[in-house]
Amino acid sequence: MDKVRIALIGNPNVGKSTVFNALTGSNQQTGNWAGKTVERRSGLAHKEGLVIELVDLPGTYSFTAYSQEEVITRDYILRDKPDAVLAIVDAANIERNLYLVLQLLEMTSKVVIGLNMLDLARSTGVDIKAHELSRILRVPVVEIVAAKGQGLDKLLQAAVKVGHSDALKSLSIPYPPELEEKIQRMEEVLKNTGLAKRYPLRWLAIKRLEQDPEIGQEWEVRAVVPVQAHADACCSTGNAVSYDLKSTEDLPGDVLLSELAQAGWGQEEMEMAFADAKYQYINQILPVFKSQVHSGLNLTEKLDQWVLSPIWGYPILTGIVFLAFWVSFILSAPLGDLVSQGMSGLAELVVGVMQGLSIPEVWQSLVRDGMFAGVGAVLAFVPQIAIFFVLYYFLQDSGYLARAAFLGDRFMQMLGLHGKSFFSLISSYGCNVPGIMATRTLEDPKDRLVTILINPLIPCVPRLGVMSAVTAAFFPGGQGALVLVSLLTISILLVMFSALFLRRAVGQTERSAFVMELPLYHLPTWRNILQLAWVRTYSFLKRAWTFILAASVIVWVLSSFPQGVPMNESWAGTMGSWLEGIGRPLGFDWRIMVAIVFGFTAKETTLSTLGILYGVAANASQSIARAMTTAMTGLGAYTFLVVYMLYIPCLATVVTTYKESGSLRWTAFGVAYNLLLSFAVGWLVVQGGHLLGLH
Amino acid sequence: MTTLMDVKTGRKAVVAGIEGSGALRRRMLDMGIVPGVELEVMRQAPWGGPIQLRLRGYYLAMRRSECAQIAVAERI
Ligand SMILES: Nc1nc2c(ncn2[C@@H]2O[C@H](COP(=O)(O)OP(=O)(O)OP(=O)(O)O)[C@@H](O)[C@H]2O)c(=O)[nH]1
Repeated sequence: MDKVRIALIGNPNVGKSTVFNALTGSNQQTGNWAGKTVERRSGLAHKEGLVIELVDLPGTYSFTAYSQEEVITRDYILRDKPDAVLAIVDAANIERNLYLVLQLLEMTSKVVIGLNMLDLARSTGVDIKAHELSRILRVPVVEIVAAKGQGLDKLLQAAVKVGHSDALKSLSIPYPPELEEKIQRMEEVLKNTGLAKRYPLRWLAIKRLEQDPEIGQEWEVRAVVPVQAHADACCSTGNAVSYDLKSTEDLPGDVLLSELAQAGWGQEEMEMAFADAKYQYINQILPVFKSQVHSGLNLTEKLDQWVLSPIWGYPILTGIVFLAFWVSFILSAPLGDLVSQGMSGLAELVVGVMQGLSIPEVWQSLVRDGMFAGVGAVLAFVPQIAIFFVLYYFLQDSGYLARAAFLGDRFMQMLGLHGKSFFSLISSYGCNVPGIMATRTLEDPKDRLVTILINPLIPCVPRLGVMSAVTAAFFPGGQGALVLVSLLTISILLVMFSALFLRRAVGQTERSAFVMELPLYHLPTWRNILQLAWVRTYSFLKRAWTFILAASVIVWVLSSFPQGVPMNESWAGTMGSWLEGIGRPLGFDWRIMVAIVFGFTAKETTLSTLGILYGVAANASQSIARAMTTAMTGLGAYTFLVVYMLYIPCLATVVTTYKESGSLRWTAFGVAYNLLLSFAVGWLVVQGGHLLGLH
Repeated sequence: MTTLMDVKTGRKAVVAGIEGSGALRRRMLDMGIVPGVELEVMRQAPWGGPIQLRLRGYYLAMRRSECAQIAVAERI
């Protein structure tokens, strides 16, 4: 069968994912670019007997060598040579969007432009003549409204047609004479090198003039695993392409470059001149295809007058955050209970069948108290996770999250954090794993490391769930709310302290930066949001029958053997007695210590572990927490909550930290930091409590 | 030198040049902040927070320290 490979590029937020999702449906694979922490998505579409492989490249503003995402995108276009490149362009923001398109046209002529967001552009009174744009740029331009699925068939058709045709004579951007002259001299120098045979000479010359560090590096494509037609629709780590640095070719041209630098044309002047010339060209062609029909009312400006107002901005932000947490915790509670009840019902059913088959009591207990109780306690958090991420992605896709980052940036700045750290920290409240992955958008590696290491201090939804169950048991009524607020305050104070401390530890001396687009408000597409939220929920679900099942069974075994002895003489009890020494200064008994150790697999299991150790039916979180009240004082419980909130988040987070930081040393540092910090703060709480005469 | 920091909310200015070097400067260039372009200061977040600009028909947020790197000629 004939196969066409099409790459998707575009600025961030132009609707690329919407186009990709609509064209590929569920035939998708998500993974990483091997060796780089940038997401790689590819999928298949079928059309008229053709198999079309779509590769969704990261959204970028440019193709420089300054960020991983930009390098990957440009490498893919130049080295893997897709049959066609689909450039999605935001019609409402066409001026800046064309800047990327111009850079693309210098790399390949096999381009089709998808002119998206036409509805939005029209509503702001902008009219764009697609045929004029197409005539000037010499590539097909297809009008689409991705969110409504309009024009996508035509877009795909045009891309396939370009994919099948030979390379066209592409547009070459007319630069001012003084630049044109330098390009030609550089072309002369480069034209007999090996690289010039593989890459467009003009592009090579321009990049050389800009002194792009990646030019001249030769990479070898190692493994190319084709996308399967019916691969696991979600979450398989498609290790698609991997590059190895083979050799670095020393490009000629140093003489010319230093001569130019002497004449006042150093790297900075060159970069500025080329950016300037491209924008000049855009301004020159703009009036031909773009006109302002009427000065239409701009919804974004109207909303921003409230949303970003110095007076109303913060109350609105607080309101939205409060609402988001209220919906994901309180409103979802009945759903969680339903899951718990379903699980215990199922457990009874299975145990009933086992009784019928007269299977020994031990096995029945394993199934009921080990497997179902453990997994059930975790599954009860699934509705919360799912709802949190639906809301999170809704806020992100609508454009509100960027506004929240704008309002919250003063705080980030105070902590010396990059403005984009905000997104990472917020999504950590859902789950630390995507929070840490969200640091990928930070360009500076040290900024990134600091943000990665802070993330675990933010209590995720499941942790907050366990905390609120314990709080409700020990501190009834209004007191409980106060306790939770105080715990969250402690975590925020520690985030602040740690940000400042870790910047030192990591040796970050660069001033952090924040340059961020505030996109127009969009009504998000449900398909996008549900797909993204599903990926997060699924990875959480997957943990339930892997890590958590295993951990529950182990806890059950440790606490049930040797058989017939009291709990504190079981293996778990023995283990606990070794750990008691560490827990004593904090007033923790052996059960708590065992639960803390097992909480490492996944913190959600802590409740069910305690349930097993306290010997209560472990299917309702309330009953477990209530069992704890007989064994602990209020101060003890509060100390437990503090330590529980802060110590190493869970195995998945540690693994993610390692993957994203690429450093065993910093991962170990992070783990040690969390452990020490949690016990130190716990100890302070105990001492402070005693001083105040509490017990 | 007049920088973008000196431009009052609601005012427009024309970019004269960008100080600094490296990735941050390049990012500003790529976002369309090149000499000659007109910027409008839309609003400033309170307590020394970032500044919202409008240029080339879109909105951009930047910290004040970044704005101080952009030399401008003011225009009313
Ligand atoms: N009004 C309107 N909104 C759209 C259109 N296409 C997409 N959107 C919305 O624009 C927002 C951004 O779309 P995405 O598909 O997530 O953008 P993206 O380019 O993949 O963004 P990145 O993931 O940041 O690269 C979403 O809220 C979409 O629902 C359109 O044609 N019109």
